[in-house]
Amino acid sequence: MLKSLVYMYRLRFAQTIIYMLQATEYDVKTYLGWLWRVKDFEKVSYRRSLIKTRRSSMLLLAIKLGMLVQFVVAIAWATLAIKNKEPNGIFAVDLFLSTPLVWSHLVVLPLVLARWFWVQPLNRVDVGRSKKSFEKHQAIKIAVAGSYGKTTMKEILYTVLSSDSKKVAATPANKNVAISHAQFAKQLEGDEDILIIEFGEGAPGDVAAFCRTVKPSIGIICGLAPAHLDKYKTLQAAGEDIFSLADYLGHKNIYVNGESEALKSFLKPGHQLYDGRQAAGWAIKAAKSSINGLSFEMTKAGKSLKIKSQLIGEHQIGPLALAAALADKLGLTKEQIEKGISRVESFEHRMQPRQVDGAYIIDDTYNGNIDGMLAGLKLLKSLPAKRRIYVTPGLVDQGAESAKIHRRLGEAIAGSDADLVVLMKHSVTDDIVAGIKQGKFKGELKIEKDPLNFYTNLDQFVAAGDLVLMQNDWPDNYN
Amino acid sequence: MKTIAVIFGGRSTEHDVSIITAIASVIKPLELTKQYKVEAVYIAKDGSWYWDDKLKDIKLYQSGEIDDFMRRAPKVHLLFDNGLTLVKSSQFAGRKMYRKIDIVFPAMHGTHGEDGELMGLLEMANVPYVGCNFRVSAVAMDKVLAKKICASSDILSTPWTWFYSSQLSQPKQAMTKIADLKYPLFVKPAHLGSSIGISRVQTEAELMNALEVAAHYDDKIIVEQEVPNVIEVTLPIIGNEELIPALLERPMTKPEDFFDFDTKYMQGGKKGKGSGKAGAQGYSEIPAKLPKELYDKAEKTASAVYRALGCSGIARVDLLIDSKTGEVYFNEVNPLPGGLYAHNWRKAGISNVDLVTKLIGLAEQKWQAKQKLTTSFSTSYLKQF
Repeated sequence: MLKSLVYMYRLRFAQTIIYMLQATEYDVKTYLGWLWRVKDFEKVSYRRSLIKTRRSSMLLLAIKLGMLVQFVVAIAWATLAIKNKEPNGIFAVDLFLSTPLVWSHLVVLPLVLARWFWVQPLNRVDVGRSKKSFEKHQAIKIAVAGSYGKTTMKEILYTVLSSDSKKVAATPANKNVAISHAQFAKQLEGDEDILIIEFGEGAPGDVAAFCRTVKPSIGIICGLAPAHLDKYKTLQAAGEDIFSLADYLGHKNIYVNGESEALKSFLKPGHQLYDGRQAAGWAIKAAKSSINGLSFEMTKAGKSLKIKSQLIGEHQIGPLALAAALADKLGLTKEQIEKGISRVESFEHRMQPRQVDGAYIIDDTYNGNIDGMLAGLKLLKSLPAKRRIYVTPGLVDQGAESAKIHRRLGEAIAGSDADLVVLMKHSVTDDIVAGIKQGKFKGELKIEKDPLNFYTNLDQFVAAGDLVLMQNDWPDNYN
Repeated sequence: MKTIAVIFGGRSTEHDVSIITAIASVIKPLELTKQYKVEAVYIAKDGSWYWDDKLKDIKLYQSGEIDDFMRRAPKVHLLFDNGLTLVKSSQFAGRKMYRKIDIVFPAMHGTHGEDGELMGLLEMANVPYVGCNFRVSAVAMDKVLAKKICASSDILSTPWTWFYSSQLSQPKQAMTKIADLKYPLFVKPAHLGSSIGISRVQTEAELMNALEVAAHYDDKIIVEQEVPNVIEVTLPIIGNEELIPALLERPMTKPEDFFDFDTKYMQGGKKGKGSGKAGAQGYSEIPAKLPKELYDKAEKTASAVYRALGCSGIARVDLLIDSKTGEVYFNEVNPLPGGLYAHNWRKAGISNVDLVTKLIGLAEQKWQAKQKLTTSFSTSYLKQF
């Protein structure tokens, strides 16, 4: 306790504050939420450390200088108080003690001011311009929405549709908000045949607004799970916002992931499903899954496609099949489609396999929803291994349903045939353990208090024949 | 929580290899188990003992700061109090620090450590320790004795001879002993590991120089006839009664590039090329691609050697195979293989953490079995005196 208090009066405290601002992507509300919640500032950065950027360096300098000045003034005031007995000595103490409190709050001021008077007005201009740019652009625009699976779907589509006959552009990485779309529009050359735009819902009305700006002609809804519930309040509200994409398209040319249970209540006539058995009218058969990838066949009205992909997990069959079906619809040949699918590589931290001395490690640490976790556990159970190891901290942002979701996760873990389960100790651990016990888990259960140490030294725990699945990451600002 | 002392360094040409074994292959996985308190005990090149957490950091040795550390740090005393206790000055008010040791993990290679000297000390203290006992270690580290014991168990060795370094003062006598062997020959110091001081000679003219090199390192020299069409393989084994073999490993070198110290530890296992990081494992075939019958024969021979010598805990058996005749020859035994050959164990399905945990278990099992032996016998001898 005392050590933690003393830490607040060290200059490293400034670094911790800026690290957390950076970790929360300079979102003032999220940062303040963390600031008022955190108990020990010394134990904050488990996962990463501060990355030096222009913004972080300037803020760090500002907070360090501010703290230093306040310390100096407090000491000077105290000196004067002792010498002259005139100024109030208690004020010097107050001034000194309040330094970390004052500057950890004051540091958001430039961010708030910059956002109000500079960033937001500029963004509004850029978004307005992008609306015109998208309006003029003749390309087929595919919008990809949903609580999860968007980036993977977008990347699959981009790889499959990019061919010698089609010029395709897609929003980069997981950039999926209005300003990202505006920046994407700026970089377009105008002669693209297909644009793929990821829609990231954050608050009610977001997806509808993206539709008005981008004007998509095809929509894909990848899944629905608790996320951003601070703004949406309920899963129903999030689903309604996501399905405003379907409303915009008049419920035509809209493709919905049939494997997402939560999406089912939103389905309407005209919506086309994609899953492990069908995709946009194509039938899927002879599906095979291994650690090296997937293979399956697709048939529709005399046409057939033989699909081979490096992606792993049966839950990827639906997205791959939909990409193939859309590619066919958009005029790509059988050869182009099959070649395009074979080019799709696993995405970083999303069911990404790697080998260490004969052990397979599947990195799925970007997986942050229960459907994805369950799909991963199904994969873990299905793959041959001498020893199955499952590692997770649980899920963040699950709102009021958190306990129920984590107990469900625990039960699924128990049923995954894992030999060893390693849970990173967090607020949801007890719920997962309850689920694991409920599921009558027979393997070994470890609770790890130092996740970074475990991840860094994973190679020391595994050997040939082991299969390790690591799901989700627990960002420091959720601690 | 049990306390494990990892002892490394030592007065040996393999001092530096021992540091890597201790820090990377023993201390790190042991600490990751979170089941043990690990104490690092470093024996300097002059034989002084130090005990400190700072000794777990490889940078201390790489930067040369170890010299400065040794100038300031107190040396360790050993207390035999029905077990082993480390004692050192706290450097505060004349007070001493004590640490009772439950198990010792020797991570020493070569002389004054792997050769049984350290194990003898640990036997005296009656503390459980990892690996072969002092008798086996002494025999295993003496290539001459090891070959003699294996021969008595009908385990083949390539034709060989030996003599004391002092006999080199009468070269003719030494040459007469070697005359029966066919070139090329290998000249080796009888007690050293990590291929230090070994020479391959093709002519009599080269022989004398090779003998002098070997004599520089050891008082006992062994000269062996090269196995024709040789495939060099090695097999790490763990176990006391029940043996668990790892995978037969084949260092990928040509006969003229025999696996010397540089190849093993300095050049990533690959002469003149490697990154210097991977060690021997960077240039080995695991498992060795041999016909199943030959693989099984080699594994069986290695197990026979392990048992014949009475190894326990861990050892690595080196074999030479004549690929044309399919004959398997015993070459030598390492009672404490560098880095525990963890790279091989991982491929055999035993992780670093599991390996050290198993070795600790075997040490305790061996010690418990020893406690059942009677060590006293009542007589009236003193009364009669």
